[in-house]
Amino acid sequence: MDLAFTPEELAFRDEIRTWVKGNLPADIAHKVHNAMRLTRDDMQRWAKILGKKGWLGWGWPTQFGGPGWTAVQKHLFEEECALAGAPRVVPFGPVMVAPVIMAFGNAEQHKRFLPGIASGEVWWSQGYSEPGSGSDLASLKTRAERVGDKYIVNGQKTWTTLGQYGEWIFCLVRTSTEGKPQTGISFLLIDMKSPGITVRPIKLLDGECEVNEVWFDNVEVPAENLVGEENKGWNYAKHLLAHERTNIADVNRAKRELERLKRIAKNEGVYDDLRFRDEIAKLEVDIVALEMLVLRVLSAEKSGKNSLDIAGLLKIKGSEIQQRYTELMMLAAGPFALPCIFEAMDAGWQGDFPGGTLTNAPLAANYFNMRKTTIYGGSNEVQRNIVAQTVLG
Amino acid sequence: MDFDFSDDQEQLRDAVRKWVDKGYDFERRRAIVAAGGFDRAAYGELAELGLTGLYVSEAHGGMGMGPTEAMVTMEELGRGIVLEPLAQTLMTSATLQTHAPAVLQAAWLPRMAAGEAIVVLAHQERGARYQLSRCAAQASESGGQWTVTGTKSLVAAGDQADAYVVPAMVHNPGGNQLALFLVERSASGVATQAYATQDGSRAAEVALTQAPAQLITLQGMGALEEAVDIGIACVCAEAVGVMDKTLAITVEYMNTRKQFGVAIASFQALRHRVADMKMQLELGRSMSYYASLKLHAPAEERRRAMARAKYQLGTSMRFIGQQAVQLHGGIAVTDEYIVSHYFKKLTQLDMTFGDTLHQLGEVSARMQDTAGVFA
Repeated sequence: MDLAFTPEELAFRDEIRTWVKGNLPADIAHKVHNAMRLTRDDMQRWAKILGKKGWLGWGWPTQFGGPGWTAVQKHLFEEECALAGAPRVVPFGPVMVAPVIMAFGNAEQHKRFLPGIASGEVWWSQGYSEPGSGSDLASLKTRAERVGDKYIVNGQKTWTTLGQYGEWIFCLVRTSTEGKPQTGISFLLIDMKSPGITVRPIKLLDGECEVNEVWFDNVEVPAENLVGEENKGWNYAKHLLAHERTNIADVNRAKRELERLKRIAKNEGVYDDLRFRDEIAKLEVDIVALEMLVLRVLSAEKSGKNSLDIAGLLKIKGSEIQQRYTELMMLAAGPFALPCIFEAMDAGWQGDFPGGTLTNAPLAANYFNMRKTTIYGGSNEVQRNIVAQTVLG
Repeated sequence: MDFDFSDDQEQLRDAVRKWVDKGYDFERRRAIVAAGGFDRAAYGELAELGLTGLYVSEAHGGMGMGPTEAMVTMEELGRGIVLEPLAQTLMTSATLQTHAPAVLQAAWLPRMAAGEAIVVLAHQERGARYQLSRCAAQASESGGQWTVTGTKSLVAAGDQADAYVVPAMVHNPGGNQLALFLVERSASGVATQAYATQDGSRAAEVALTQAPAQLITLQGMGALEEAVDIGIACVCAEAVGVMDKTLAITVEYMNTRKQFGVAIASFQALRHRVADMKMQLELGRSMSYYASLKLHAPAEERRRAMARAKYQLGTSMRFIGQQAVQLHGGIAVTDEYIVSHYFKKLTQLDMTFGDTLHQLGEVSARMQDTAGVFA
């Protein structure tokens, strides 16, 4: 039992801290610290800086060109990036599809896809959800029919995050309707420039087009783009989830946002209002408790123990915390969170923001946007089903 | 960063759990409650396990162990809702060992470790609620002999303990200061009046009228805060044990109890409550680790950590206790069934060393620009 990181881990953290400080562009960090709009270029610039250093695939093993870090090192890297104000790495390439390609793809696929992901050159999107398949993902209907050396794909994906920028998309597609729904699903990599693909942005309640519908109309996909075996895609997707336990809690970002909340509360004169301040105090305890939970999972991974029964809690608590800090930030600004001026969320805007403080401009939009966190990635009600299963059987 | 227990710690856990399971079943506990809420024989069994000397150095006949061993022990005692106040012994033995003159240590620590002497903290006063600095008891010195006058409330096993660690105010030309004293129950001017508390354990009002006292330290405020922080870490660990067992009892009941022809564990409305209980249990367990592992931190950091931990545990205890009762239904509000006793224990632990609202105020007052496990 020891709370402290080892001297080696602390030295590693310092090394990361120094590097991030020297390499994270100040304009990007400024936007992140104030929740201003990030452009595709901002996200790509940071991804390529990491890629050049060999850290965009920070969770990758050395055999695929990654740094081969331990779970604790990965955590420390994520923490240093988050606290410094780095944008979240768009996870679909380096965090989501790459591990599946590594584990289940063939050598040819490794050579073909991994370098572009590691460098940040190729933008990947995720094609899981469908209009009829939300929490019940296995009911998905997008059909891939094998014809000769091709699959013909028809159907529709939705909620495809940043899909408007996507160059490739990894999809769960139905290749069989026999047996249980889970057993007829395959994992397919699709070039988004293929004829027959249409991407339609969906305008969300915050006014942004963060997600998209992706339509497939007789899209031809070479059979060599199938990862692993046909009809085994569900297992591969589950493998992916098992490797994404602590990241989803996003506790490092929560620590940064708690600092921002305190800045906003001070600025708006509610930090010394005990009724408001106590709400921040509750959130602070929540974040420390979540961090302890994350550290426990990391410690269990370090010593090779099974921590599944608590890892399931991370998504629930992490998402609730994300919602809460955006809610409190908005409430701190009060009426001055209400002006809906989209340009005011862009860096460098010179207009007069009603209420004065420009940092108030994105608060309501952030609050609206964060409602997604308890819905996506397996809704929190589905997560509770899973937790209850581990407790009650 | 490592949350694994050593083999020795696991053995300690097994030993305490075995005693709780075999030596302290519900029937024995019920008999102890009926007899007044404290059993010297049961306390003696804790001593036989070495637990009363857990914090006492080997030189004084103890085991010289640390906060992690104390945490493991308190978790297991919590699982059995043990009434005998071992946490008090952990607090007072640590206080004496850190702050008392050598003579006082030699006189008391070996006997405390052996279970022959019970020393408890007598700090609570009427009107003070959870404020440690509010102390009306007065101490004065005459001819090299200190005496203390004042009344302390809710002193654990106060009419059975052999001595008390008592905070009292000392008047100095430069101002008043809070000091800690050791007062023996058998001393002149000590009167006790015992009663039961809500969890079935025993407490007493201890009235001191110019009672002879031995000075532990004149730097009493810092020492008292240390003692209470050890107490908070103990309560957090004990709470984890109580909550863990409460959830286990509830789960077993839900898988047995049938309504509408099926086990009630099959109803989703109830399953989600259980998921939320598991959440509160694991957040609580995490913050109990945090509390114990922060006990040796510098005072300001330590106090902040204890407030955070106790706030979380208070929240968790309230939730798990209330949900356990609701999920059981009517059986849970009977005295006969075990879960009501766990519920009452959780309620009492929340109100020991600062309840949820008090601790929230402490967290709130101690907030800094940055926050996290390490800040």
